[in-house]
Amino acid sequence: MPFPALSENDLARLGMEVPLARVDKSLAELWENDSAKTRASLINFAIYTESASDLSRNMELLEAITAEHACRALLILNLPDAPAPNARAFINALCRPYQGQQVVCSEQVAFILEQATPQAVQNIVFAHLDSDLPLIVLWQGTLTRNFDERLYSHIDTLIVDSSLWQNPAIELSALTTALESETADFDVRDLSWTRSHFLRTSLATCFQDARALEHLPAITQIEITHASEHRMAALLLGAWIAQRLGGTPSSNLTFPRANGPSIQFTLTSVSTGPSLQKLHLTGPNVQIQISRHSDSRFVQVCTSCPNHKTQEIYPADVETDAELIGEQLSRAGGRTLYSSLIPQLRELLK
Amino acid sequence: MENPFQETLIQKNRAEPCSVVIFGATGDLTHRKLIPALYNIAACGDLPPQFKVVGFARREKSDDVFRSELETANKKHSRQAHTQELWSGFSQSIHYHQSEFQDVEGYKALGRLLDQFDVERGTTANRLFYLASAPEFFKPILEHLKAAGLHVPPQGKWARVVCEKPFGKDLATARGLNEAVANTFAEKDTYRIDHYLGKETAQNIMVLRFANSIFEPNWNSRYIDHIQITCAENLGMEGGRGGYYDTAGALRDMVQNHLFQLLSLVAMEPPTDLSADAVRDEKVKVIRSLRPLIGPNAVGQNVIRAQYTTGSVDGVARPGYRQEDRVNPESQTEAYVALRLFVDTWRWQGVPFYIRVGKQLPKKATEISVHFKRPPQVPFATSKLIDNSENTLVIRIQPDEGMALRILCKQPGQALSMQPVKMDFRYSSSFGKASPEAYERLLLDAMAGDATLFARRDEVENAWKFIDEIQAAWHKSDTPPPMCEYPAGSWGPKEADQLLAQNGHEWRLL
Ligand SMILES: NC(=O)c1ccc[n+]([C@@H]2O[C@H](COP(=O)([O-])OP(=O)(O)OC[C@H]3O[C@@H](n4cnc5c(N)ncnc54)[C@H](OP(=O)(O)O)[C@@H]3O)[C@@H](O)[C@H]2O)c1
Repeated sequence: MPFPALSENDLARLGMEVPLARVDKSLAELWENDSAKTRASLINFAIYTESASDLSRNMELLEAITAEHACRALLILNLPDAPAPNARAFINALCRPYQGQQVVCSEQVAFILEQATPQAVQNIVFAHLDSDLPLIVLWQGTLTRNFDERLYSHIDTLIVDSSLWQNPAIELSALTTALESETADFDVRDLSWTRSHFLRTSLATCFQDARALEHLPAITQIEITHASEHRMAALLLGAWIAQRLGGTPSSNLTFPRANGPSIQFTLTSVSTGPSLQKLHLTGPNVQIQISRHSDSRFVQVCTSCPNHKTQEIYPADVETDAELIGEQLSRAGGRTLYSSLIPQLRELLK
Repeated sequence: MENPFQETLIQKNRAEPCSVVIFGATGDLTHRKLIPALYNIAACGDLPPQFKVVGFARREKSDDVFRSELETANKKHSRQAHTQELWSGFSQSIHYHQSEFQDVEGYKALGRLLDQFDVERGTTANRLFYLASAPEFFKPILEHLKAAGLHVPPQGKWARVVCEKPFGKDLATARGLNEAVANTFAEKDTYRIDHYLGKETAQNIMVLRFANSIFEPNWNSRYIDHIQITCAENLGMEGGRGGYYDTAGALRDMVQNHLFQLLSLVAMEPPTDLSADAVRDEKVKVIRSLRPLIGPNAVGQNVIRAQYTTGSVDGVARPGYRQEDRVNPESQTEAYVALRLFVDTWRWQGVPFYIRVGKQLPKKATEISVHFKRPPQVPFATSKLIDNSENTLVIRIQPDEGMALRILCKQPGQALSMQPVKMDFRYSSSFGKASPEAYERLLLDAMAGDATLFARRDEVENAWKFIDEIQAAWHKSDTPPPMCEYPAGSWGPKEADQLLAQNGHEWRLL
């Protein structure tokens, strides 16, 4: 049965097609025939997508990720609107050089599913896991469909990218439902939150100095400049800063504070450049300006308050999906601050 | 008031704002290790704000010349790529201060320079003094720091000292040095470097032992037959190394510090918590529990020293130790040592710990291997197989960091025959990312005030106390144990093999 959205070329890049029932056997054969290759795996890393046009991008993503994180990689493309149910499987070894001659490889299994139900998706995932290793899922589809309790109750870490959500309020509500479910025990990582990791670290570092810290309660304005598709990263950053300053988020972007002036929050969207480009905090006697230029891997941080003026350079956040996901995979498990920001974010999105 | 954004900083040790003064900053260590480590800390965003490095050395040179020499070195030695953008900012924090180590005026001028930085910062900063000079200068540097009042931290800040190895050459000199340090800095502000402790796999020993429930219950004399620690070098005295090495020898250069640190990590009891002192309390107990080797007899029976003779490594002819550059042709310094040690505690009663370290061995490798006892009875095995049936856990410290477990398996086929197989975990094949260099971790810890990975005074002195007895038997007794020989490129002298054979053991083939 042909896949309208996929060329044979695309399918060929997925590796060798094998019958669904023979995936594990074929993987074993892959290694039997090549003694120079070493199979390595620390996690199960699955990407779930419903967009055929993302297939090639996802393959590149897996290649980049497996170069640093040995894993069993599962790529699941589900086309829920296909005319009839169908399933095909492809296997591949993603290899990188190691100590000159040998190669270390991750196994990749790709599935193209048509009209797959939540049960079918779960079954595909569960049947092809490397046992005993954690399951990390990058969910690119909507969380309102196929993201079923029986699936997420087995996930260790869920990675989403809220910048891709058509309707963030609905997705956040589905995510909250999943997180609150009794059987769920997964950590959630949002790449939009990861996009501000170093920016947050730079900001925190500015206030390690007591002279800057003294003026922090007087901050009244926060301005963030972001690339147009990264409004969620900016909102999350703003929600976090407001939360740390004791402000209550509201959808008009003015955050009243119990013990101090309200914080006015301004978002400026630009069409090109890194996801987060400027963060300015301003108060009567204090100004913190963190800015990043398009081609730079660093941010300039200027702090200015009475008796204290500094200019520092710090690493900027990584930008590509592979780097962002790599950052998350390098971190130990455990809940992040992100989950605690979801209520604030939902307020902002109202 | 607390910094409300701090929560985002707690993942790693966070350095506090400070100035780092490196004594001996035109030297090899600064160029190859210290500056690249600081640069990489900056590249990871972990350098404190308004950071300053002052290089202190004798030769006359300008800040610009010093920076450009360091830039050349950083391009060559940095773990992460050298980028101009970061370097141009980072290098502005580097300054050169010309002075003799013995000139108190130079320290006063250093004090004025540090004060001037504080004025520019608008605040006082912490101070970290890094002794990267030859060890004979440690004492004068400390005394002059004190004379110039630099050991007293600015109000509300700290002043710390980092001492490079070697920390003394025997108990007396180590004590002398410790006195000199203690006269100037409190023990809590003293950081004695042992770069082995900064290595990922050394830190992993504690995780392996205490975070996995399968090892600790077996980690004792009931299940462990013996433990081997090997540190093999496939080089000799190239690059003028002979000058220093011939005054030290394998025992003082490697065993007293690095290998005893590894031994402590392997043999220690679980610490009550992960604080620096709780961990070091347990480590020092191991060294204190080592069964003393006193007198030429005990030393001769348990310690083998040797020098290499001509041979070849990797097909290249190598000279004998006494023919090496800058080595005394009649040298009595050991280029190889093997020890049989016992840790006299309940846990380790009767378990030999074998340590060997040497130059011009067939390959470069540092490993710990834990050899478990054989099963009491293997019903389906021949005696030959039972001989070969021990489980071994190998912890590879360098290179190719990782772990391997050797177990027995049934060979496929009708007959019930067994074969040892190896389960192997390699850091580099599982984690594509390179670990931070040991010096990155250690410098950051020293700036953040975490002394866990540094040697404490009592650890160093107890280790020297043990080592001194062996040195005395070798060099001060009338009947010293012999200096053995091995051809360069072999796995050490046959006497070292016999040392293990006495207990029915043999060195693991690496
Ligand atoms: N190199 C390594 O890889 C390594 C590894 C582990 C430990 N270490 C330890 O680190 C320390 C330094 O080693 P290194 O190899 O860097 O030594 P090095 O290359 O010999 O450098 C010696 C430094 O001390 C300075 N110096 C010597 N005499 C001086 C004086 N009277 N006044 C002022 N400065 C003086 C020199 O300055 P000028 O150039 O201006 O004369 C130079 O900066 C030693 O304790 C060594 O054991 C080194």
